[in-house]
Amino acid sequence: MKLQRKDVLGLEEMDVEEIRQILQTAKVMKGILMRPIKKLPTLKGKSVVNLFYEASTRTRTSFEMAAKVLGADTTSIAVAQSSVSKGESLYDTAKTIQAMRADLVILRHSSSGSASFLADILDAGVINAGDGQHEHPTQALLDIFTMEEKLGDLEGKNVVIVGDVLHSRVARSNAWGLRKLGVNVTLVGPPTLAPAEMGGLGVKLTHDLDSVLPGADVVMALRLQLERQKSGLFPSLREYSHLYGLTTERLKKTGKQSVVMHPGPMNRGVEISDEVADSAQALIERQVTNGVAIRMALIYLLIGGSANVVA
Amino acid sequence: MLWLKDVWVVDPSQKLSSPQSVLVKEGKILAISSSMSDEEVQFKAQGEAIETINGQGKFLFPGLIDVHTHLREPGQEDKEDILSGSRAAVRGGFTTILAMANTQPVIDKRALAEFVRLQGERAGYAHVLPIGTVTKGMQGEELVEMADMKEGGVVAFSDDGKNIQNSEVMRLALEYVKLTGLPIISHCEDKYLAGDGLMRRGTASGRMGLKGIPASAESVIVARDLILTEETGGKLHLAHISTAESVELIRRAKARGVNVTAEVNPHHLIFCDEDIHLTDTALKVNPPLASQEDRAALIEGLQDGTIDMIATDHAPHTQAEKARPFAEAPFGIASLETALSAVYQYLVLTGKLSWERVIEAWSHSPAKRFGLKGGTLKPGTSADMVLFDPGYKEVIEPSNLVSKARNTPFLGKTLQGFPVMVWVEGRLVQRNRMLL
Repeated sequence: MKLQRKDVLGLEEMDVEEIRQILQTAKVMKGILMRPIKKLPTLKGKSVVNLFYEASTRTRTSFEMAAKVLGADTTSIAVAQSSVSKGESLYDTAKTIQAMRADLVILRHSSSGSASFLADILDAGVINAGDGQHEHPTQALLDIFTMEEKLGDLEGKNVVIVGDVLHSRVARSNAWGLRKLGVNVTLVGPPTLAPAEMGGLGVKLTHDLDSVLPGADVVMALRLQLERQKSGLFPSLREYSHLYGLTTERLKKTGKQSVVMHPGPMNRGVEISDEVADSAQALIERQVTNGVAIRMALIYLLIGGSANVVA
Repeated sequence: MLWLKDVWVVDPSQKLSSPQSVLVKEGKILAISSSMSDEEVQFKAQGEAIETINGQGKFLFPGLIDVHTHLREPGQEDKEDILSGSRAAVRGGFTTILAMANTQPVIDKRALAEFVRLQGERAGYAHVLPIGTVTKGMQGEELVEMADMKEGGVVAFSDDGKNIQNSEVMRLALEYVKLTGLPIISHCEDKYLAGDGLMRRGTASGRMGLKGIPASAESVIVARDLILTEETGGKLHLAHISTAESVELIRRAKARGVNVTAEVNPHHLIFCDEDIHLTDTALKVNPPLASQEDRAALIEGLQDGTIDMIATDHAPHTQAEKARPFAEAPFGIASLETALSAVYQYLVLTGKLSWERVIEAWSHSPAKRFGLKGGTLKPGTSADMVLFDPGYKEVIEPSNLVSKARNTPFLGKTLQGFPVMVWVEGRLVQRNRMLL
C-alpha cells in the first residue's frame, strides 16, 4: 500500500495510521538492509533528487543509500546557502527540477516551510529532510522506530528531549510524532532555548532536567549550536553542560536503564559525555542504521509501485 | 451640477449619518440637505445642466485619506509607482494618500519631495502628498532640512521602515519639528528585540519554527517616544500600532495630554498570528500580525478614540519576491484596493466597529492631524467623495487589480461593499469599479 499523499513534510500533518504504516514498512526495509546483497529492483527507472541547501553529510548520505538500495537513480544537488538577492530562487530551481521529470525530491533548506513551498510547486513528491526550525520528519520517524525497537509499544512511555528546543526541528517533529503515539514528552532546556511559546506543541515544557529524569524511558540530547552563545542565549558551555549535559551520574536519576539518543553530530563533553555516548545505553549508531531503513520505507511508500516489496 | 439624491451620507465632521441630498458644483460641495425640492435644485443650478444620481441604498462619504502608503517611486517601480498606486487608491476609495519616504533614494531633500508631489499631480488621480524622512539617508543620525522640506510640500516626517534607535536623535527630531508644526511619524520597533524575526512571537511561531518578534519590540519604543514627546512638547504620530500594551500606553499618555495620535492597519484588525500558514507569505507583514487579545485591544482602542485613524500601510511587492519561502519573502501587504471593503465586511457588518467611526478614522481624523484638505463634505469644500455600494461583490483577482502588486491575503476571495463612484475635486475618477 502506498501512502495516500504526495509528500512527507512533517509529522504534525500525519495521522497515527500513516506513522504506523511507515514504521511497519521500515521493519521490512531494515531486514533488506541487513542482507549481504542489499539491492532491489523495486524503483528501477525512478529518479530521486537530493536538493540540499544546508551542509549535511549523514542525512544526505542516508537518503542516497536508501534510494540506491531500492534501485532508484539518485542525483545530488548541493547548493551553497540560498541568498535572497542573488542566485536562482527556490521557485526557479523547483521549476527546473520539474522540467527534468524527477519522481521525488528530498529537500534540506534553512527556511521553515520551504518543503511545503516546494511541494506546492512540484508534481513530484517531496520529502522534507529538514526545513529551518520547523520539522525534520525522517529524523523523528527513525527516532521513534529506534525507541520501539528497544522498548516495544511506546504508549505511556516517558521521553525527555533536552537542549536547544527552540531552534530544533528534531524536537518539533519528535514532539508531534511521539504525542500521537501516546508518549509523555517533556522538552527541557534553559528558558532562553525552551521558551513559553514552545508550549504550542502541546507537550510538557520545563527548565529543570534533574526533576524530570526520574522515570524517563528515553533521554534524547539535542545538538547545541555553539554559535548560540554569541547571541547571548546561554552564558557558557561550562554552565550549559553542568545543567543539561548527559552524564553517567545524571542518568542514574532516571531509576532505570534508560535509552540515550542523539540525532548527531554530537558535541562530546557538551550535551553528552564521552562515557554516555559510548555506553551500551546509547543507541546513536543504531539510529543511523534505522535512518536508512526509515528513508527506504518513505521513498518506497511514496513512489514505489503497487507491488509488495515483502513478496 | 451634480445632484446626489437620497443617499445615506456618513460625514463625521458634520456628525451626519442620515439620508441626504448633495449638490456639487464647480468641484465643490454646494449644499447638503435632508429635504431638497426640485425647484430648489433648479434654482441652485442657475441654468447649468443637472446630472442626477439616485443614491438610494448607497453611502456617500468624504474621500478617504490614507496616511501610510508605500508607492515605491522613485526607485522600485517594479513593485509600484505613483501612477499605479494612486489609481489603486481611488479604486479603493482613497482620494488623498501620503507617500512614505523610504523610496530609493529616500525622500530626504526638498527636491525629491517636490518630485513625488509632481508625479502625483501628473498621475491625476488621488492627491499624493509626500512624507519626508526624519534623518538624512534614513540613517538615524542627522536631521533633514525640515523647514525647507515643508516648503516643498512635505506633510510629515518619518523614517518608516526603520526605527530611529538612537533616543537622542529622536528627541532632537521631536524638538526641531516644532519649527514646522508637522508630526513625526514613528515606526516603533526595537531592532534588537525584533532581530531577524519573521512573525509575532507566540505559540504559533513556536509551532512553525518561525523566528518570533516579541510584542515588546514595538511597545518599548512606543513608551520611549511617548516619554520623549511629553518631554519636548513635540508632535508625534505612531504608525501601525499592533499590540495591546501600545494601546494602553497611548491611552494613558493621551489622558496626560501628550500630543500624540496613532494609526492601526486593517490587517491587524482582521487577522492574527494564528492565521499564518508556513507558505502564505501574503500575511507576512511588519509589524507582524499579533495575538487575538491584541486584535481585540486594537478594535477597542479604535472605537474609543485611543487610536485615531486607520491607515493601510499599503506595501506592494512583486510576485517573484513574495513567491519565496517565508523567511526570504519581504514584509508587507498591498491593500489600497481591498482595505475599505475588508474593514466593512469583517468589522462593520459583524458589528465590531461602527461604520461612522470607520469613516471618521479614515477621513476626518487624518485631515485634522496632518492639516490636510478633505475629510469632510462641508459646503464650500472640495468635492472629494466616495459613493459606496454595500451590496457590491467582487472577487479579488489579478485581472481586476490596478496596483502592480498582488500581495494581498484576499486574492481569490470575494469581498462585499465597494466604492462604485469616486470623485476628486468634483471630477469623477472611478465609476462602477473602472477608472476613468
